Amino acid sequence: MTIKSICSLLAVLALSSLPTLAADPEKAVVQIFTFAQEADWDEPWKFGQLRRSSGTGFIIKGRRIMTNAHVVSWARQLMVKRYQDPRPYLARVVFVAHDCDLALLEVEDSLFYDGVEPLEFGPLPKVRSTVVTYGYPAGGEQISYTRGVVSRIELQTYAHIGNRSLLGVQTDAAINPGNSGGPVIQDDKVIGVAFQGMPGLENAGFFIPAPVINHFLDDIKDGKYDGFPSAGIRTAPLQNAAYRRKLKLPDNDKGVRVDSVVPGTPAEKVLRPDDVILQVGKHEVGSDGTIIYDGNRMAMAMAVQEAQHGQSMALKIWRDGKEQSIALPVEVSGTDKVLGNQYDTPPRYFVYAGLVFTPISLDYLKTFGRGWSDTAGAELTYELFYRRQESPKTVRIEPIVLSTVLADGVNANFRTRGRALVDKINGIRIERLEDVIRAFESPSNGQHVVEFLPKNTFECIERESADKANAQILKTYGIPKDRRL
Amino acid sequence: MHDRYTTSSRRPSRPALLNPSSLILHPFALALALLLLCQRAPAAPAFDWESSLVYLEVTRKAYEVFQPWTPKSRTVQKNGLITGAREILTTAEELSDRTLVRVQRGGRGKWWDAEVVWLDYHANLAVLTAKEDEFWRGLKPAAFITGKLPNEGLQIVRWRSGNLEARKAEFNQFLVEDARLSFFQHLQLEASTEMQAVGWAEPLVANGKVAGLATGQGGNNARFLPASFIEPILAARKAGKYPGLGFFPFTWTPVENPSTFKFLKLPGDPRGALVVEVPATPKVEPNLKPRDLILQVDGFDVDNQGYYKDPDYGQLIVENLGSRRKFAGEIVKMKIWRDGAQMNLDYRLPKLDYSVKLLAEQTFDQAPEFLIAGGLVLQPLNIPLLRGFGEDWKRRAPFRLAHYAGGPPSAERSGLVVLTSVLPDPYVVGYQDARFLVLDTVNGQKISCLADVQAALEKPQDGFHTIEFQRGDNLRRIVLDAAQMDAATKRILERYRIPAASHIAVKP
Repeated sequence: MTIKSICSLLAVLALSSLPTLAADPEKAVVQIFTFAQEADWDEPWKFGQLRRSSGTGFIIKGRRIMTNAHVVSWARQLMVKRYQDPRPYLARVVFVAHDCDLALLEVEDSLFYDGVEPLEFGPLPKVRSTVVTYGYPAGGEQISYTRGVVSRIELQTYAHIGNRSLLGVQTDAAINPGNSGGPVIQDDKVIGVAFQGMPGLENAGFFIPAPVINHFLDDIKDGKYDGFPSAGIRTAPLQNAAYRRKLKLPDNDKGVRVDSVVPGTPAEKVLRPDDVILQVGKHEVGSDGTIIYDGNRMAMAMAVQEAQHGQSMALKIWRDGKEQSIALPVEVSGTDKVLGNQYDTPPRYFVYAGLVFTPISLDYLKTFGRGWSDTAGAELTYELFYRRQESPKTVRIEPIVLSTVLADGVNANFRTRGRALVDKINGIRIERLEDVIRAFESPSNGQHVVEFLPKNTFECIERESADKANAQILKTYGIPKDRRL
Repeated sequence: MHDRYTTSSRRPSRPALLNPSSLILHPFALALALLLLCQRAPAAPAFDWESSLVYLEVTRKAYEVFQPWTPKSRTVQKNGLITGAREILTTAEELSDRTLVRVQRGGRGKWWDAEVVWLDYHANLAVLTAKEDEFWRGLKPAAFITGKLPNEGLQIVRWRSGNLEARKAEFNQFLVEDARLSFFQHLQLEASTEMQAVGWAEPLVANGKVAGLATGQGGNNARFLPASFIEPILAARKAGKYPGLGFFPFTWTPVENPSTFKFLKLPGDPRGALVVEVPATPKVEPNLKPRDLILQVDGFDVDNQGYYKDPDYGQLIVENLGSRRKFAGEIVKMKIWRDGAQMNLDYRLPKLDYSVKLLAEQTFDQAPEFLIAGGLVLQPLNIPLLRGFGEDWKRRAPFRLAHYAGGPPSAERSGLVVLTSVLPDPYVVGYQDARFLVLDTVNGQKISCLADVQAALEKPQDGFHTIEFQRGDNLRRIVLDAAQMDAATKRILERYRIPAASHIAVKP
């Protein structure tokens, strides 16, 4: 018996024991072929090699295809194929949500939707209940089905963005590369979207559950995607009897302490350290900072993530020995973006006389290689991740680095060849990329002076020769435009 | 202090010597080794090094970094050189926290008690003596090469398995690099050799004189403290006029960019080292300023790479002039270019002191400080503590802790104290996962050292101790019951078998 026939047999056996479905869900499950080109964060006018990959998606109401954001990131062209249909259809991204790793696509050709019943969404499944995944994982051409149980439900780090934890469901149903974006089905309904595994964990795959999917679908109703908001606070468990006594709280298991408030967030106006959060919305908060959500104990952040950007959460807090009710506005953090993995929007840059300026971001730091946070990138790492916490008054809106120096006679004597944090140019403090342009355009004594941190080194360049060399350098290095703002 | 961008800081790694008691050689292997040794060793040195080279055994305390109340014992062997009447010179490395030093002559036989009579960790030099007259019988001092290093005939000499081993060495270069035990840079000699595990004060010799003492080895290249670095220090010490080494605490950078010289309004050829950073400590008056160009130091012209031509050693970086036959407190005469004009500056060399940095580079001869307060294990944040994360601590230590290294102390904080762990107990329930957090205040008092913590714990507020950590992406505050702390500490010490709640050095 060939491997192919073994697989077919397994599929048949698996199918025979699947829960009964009203329709054939596989008809709505599509294979997605992505041709993508990622940005180059070190030489930001460039793009990497064209990369081909495949994933899974499924047709939902409104003639849309739902899949993972990571299946379609940096896509130059998307093609989808229906179940048992040899014809490829061109698709385009309508909405993408990188924080929750979801995307919606559409196919212009109306033939594509003929005879397909869109899949509907179900609720959050129960732990230990059975689910079936549908997808096109690596290792074969045909659709694959795997069955498993829901192992646990809690907040998980979403690997695609890297710096957000949202509700995730762990299952022992096999979820492999190519499964991404495929539906996880229970009782005829989609109760999740397969999206990631975890190295080192056997028989563990993860899917994005209904509450996250519904949040995404609600978010885009106004025509744009905002994202999942944060409370703007850091909390600490309140389990030490002495601390509870100091705050005049009963020694029980209720309430989590606000340890600090993130500078620049709306929380600064309504919360302060040592407030104790007793309830968020309808959820009571335990002393370890968890709530009960649909029978599952999980981090309080889940309650915040139910709200949309700009909404307010009703909170019960304990302050000065009394219970109070407040409304906490929640917003999507603007700084989260540069601290996580970024997609689809190539980096901003400005090139002048071969000096390449670009904002610091996690993606930029990763170009340093595996040890990016040690010696070479330590100052930049501090600037990006720690300064805003430790000395918010000195934070720059968008710290800028001289990422590289494109060798030319005009800059050949520069000692600083790149990876240097820019402090000032011609005396102007650089808060964001636009300041770099303004500084070079501002009057100077025939020279430009670029100052760097943290060692206060500086470089000078003759203005006249720099202006003259600029166009030729762009041409030599094949840079189509001197800036992307 | 040299700009880190301008030189690679290569510190040769050196394999630790084995304690002979743990080294068991098969008799046949030993015979074979001796045979090979006889075949490979060059002709015996003309000078009788047996009467000038002695073998040292140092037993010292070492500590578990994160359980500093647990001392261990460590024994190493190294070489000593007779340099004067009843004087044995060796490197200072591994002499800290010593409990027993013994010396052996002839590479075998009786061990004699020895004691350290002088030691300078920054210079990595120590002088020892032995009390008993019999030990000194027949031993004679070796002399240093004070002039030019001979082109040929260099050897490294050491005691090994009871025999004097001499191997050829070839001079590579003089260079100015990081000191072995300090944060300044000074003249070093590099020679290549096939001898392995070099770095235990083996003398580099030629024509019966000493050219240097070995401090380390990387591959086949061994590093030595050159005689010209050692000899003035020993002479000054002998004369009772050794104030310690001085150094250049400022950071400079080479300048290759003609446009920068134009900006600085320096006429003529490009020259001078550009000062970019001048730390507030140590205090130097008058001092350099950022954007000064150092044009000349003690009569030596400094080029735009920061090098000067040393009459004895060729091209060296200007850093060397902070320790070239000069000591702390002495004047180094500089010609500098400042604000478009040349001026003279009498730069008084500050003394090397591990405490000029926010995180002390070394903590020799003092048991690691710690304080256990109700299960909170508090320790000073210093480089020895960071080394507890491994040789590559810059990568392995928590980023925020490692990032404090190299920073200067501030007016409000001369040092840092870190909560390294919490010993679980009902008293600290809720805090058991807190670790590697730097203290900001205790009961409202700013914390720079463990003594500050002790003092602050004397002043609880409304029956509570409030401990605040420095701002960051971490826990900011914990509160403990002040009345119960002493009882909890006592209970925790018993449970975890810790002999004392603290070891805090008395500050002078």
